[in-house]
Amino acid sequence: MKNKSDEELVKLIVQNHRPALEELYDRYINLIYSFSLKMTKGDTEKTKEIVQLVFLRLWTTKRTYSASQGKFANWILTITRNIAIDLIRKEHKHKGTVQLDHDEWEKIQGQQSENVLQEVSSNLLKQQIQEAKHQLSEPQKRLINLLYWEGYSLSEIAKLEEKPLGTIKSRLNQTLKKLRNYFSEETGGVRHGK
Amino acid sequence: MENKCENLSLYIIDQLSEHEKEQFKRHLKTCAHCQNELESLQDTWQTLSYDMEEVDAPESLKMEVMDFIFKEDEKESPHNPIKLFLTKHFSPLSAGITAILIIGFAGLLWYNLHLKDTITALEEQMASPAQIVRTFNLKGQDIASSANGTAYLLQEGHDNSLIIELNNMPGIKDDEVYQVWLLNNGNRQNAGTIKPDQNGNGLITYRMPKDQSFDDIGITLEPNPNNTQPKGRKVMGTT
Ligand SMILES: [Zn+2]
Repeated sequence: MKNKSDEELVKLIVQNHRPALEELYDRYINLIYSFSLKMTKGDTEKTKEIVQLVFLRLWTTKRTYSASQGKFANWILTITRNIAIDLIRKEHKHKGTVQLDHDEWEKIQGQQSENVLQEVSSNLLKQQIQEAKHQLSEPQKRLINLLYWEGYSLSEIAKLEEKPLGTIKSRLNQTLKKLRNYFSEETGGVRHGK
Repeated sequence: MENKCENLSLYIIDQLSEHEKEQFKRHLKTCAHCQNELESLQDTWQTLSYDMEEVDAPESLKMEVMDFIFKEDEKESPHNPIKLFLTKHFSPLSAGITAILIIGFAGLLWYNLHLKDTITALEEQMASPAQIVRTFNLKGQDIASSANGTAYLLQEGHDNSLIIELNNMPGIKDDEVYQVWLLNNGNRQNAGTIKPDQNGNGLITYRMPKDQSFDDIGITLEPNPNNTQPKGRKVMGTT
């Protein structure tokens, strides 16, 4: 199993090959776990449930992956994020309103200042993201947080921010481009489109 | 730059409706501007996922995850994590087909499961409802003459799933499985295997590949799992 590519492992999983699933688990569990932990704001019980569902989905729905779809890590994180957002959105709905309460706002803001204060991480990529986020305005940072990590839809965010949907859409455009340009300047890693 | 170009970022963050998505894909084919932007902005969006603390998952997690998935193989368990999960988090349900798959999965352990009620409840609760588009009655024959069952073809968006519930199935030996076949113009397609519980109840969900259709369902008793063509005799079929 060790010398199989991710793509080959996914093919084996489609054929009900359990060792292939275990191998993928070993390769990506720390990534999936860390990501889910962030999505759940450190709730280890919910994180466990997300991880279980990610691998259950891999096993039961027999999704196929090919290297042409991009990096496997990105592919599996997209699945993880979808599952996590399903859970998170259920909680939003449970509250019956998309309005965040005061505590939650403070939490989000607290997290942000925590991020800023965090000592420079050895993880280069993460460091670059932190720096890029520095370049964003407060509303832009909030948008990314609510959209990417909290799983709110754009129209919900428009309500939260008491702004027209069009404003939020163009804010999203600007934010993505700003991040993209910063990433590409700093790292050369992200191709610059024209 | 046309008006449609402004949907690019919504396409990237996957917040377009199915209809808008199709429209945008068509636009993408002809718009050089969006084609140029797509890849780098998509990379940017995905890069955000690495904005996290890297931690090691607890060692014990692997067993819990594998147990969660492969629990059906065990004869007895102190509790059923899937059912617990469902009661804890799936009211109201919103994870669509995933939920159905989990229910199907739990079904092997879940006694007195009233499938139809469950599906109806799911339909009412789900954000994007699954619909039963066809129902089949299954009747036993041969050694399984007292068995009966129902199959539901479920549609959720573009996805189809088949859920089959069987009752009064005779017990089988360790290696043996009941295998489901979808019959289409004389061709047989394997749709999974069932091992009934000690009460003779079994449940299976099968996610239909795109464009697969079928006229009838047949179930055979196979001496071993994973045959691509039936080797054993037919014990159930659609009426
Ligand atoms: Zn365009």
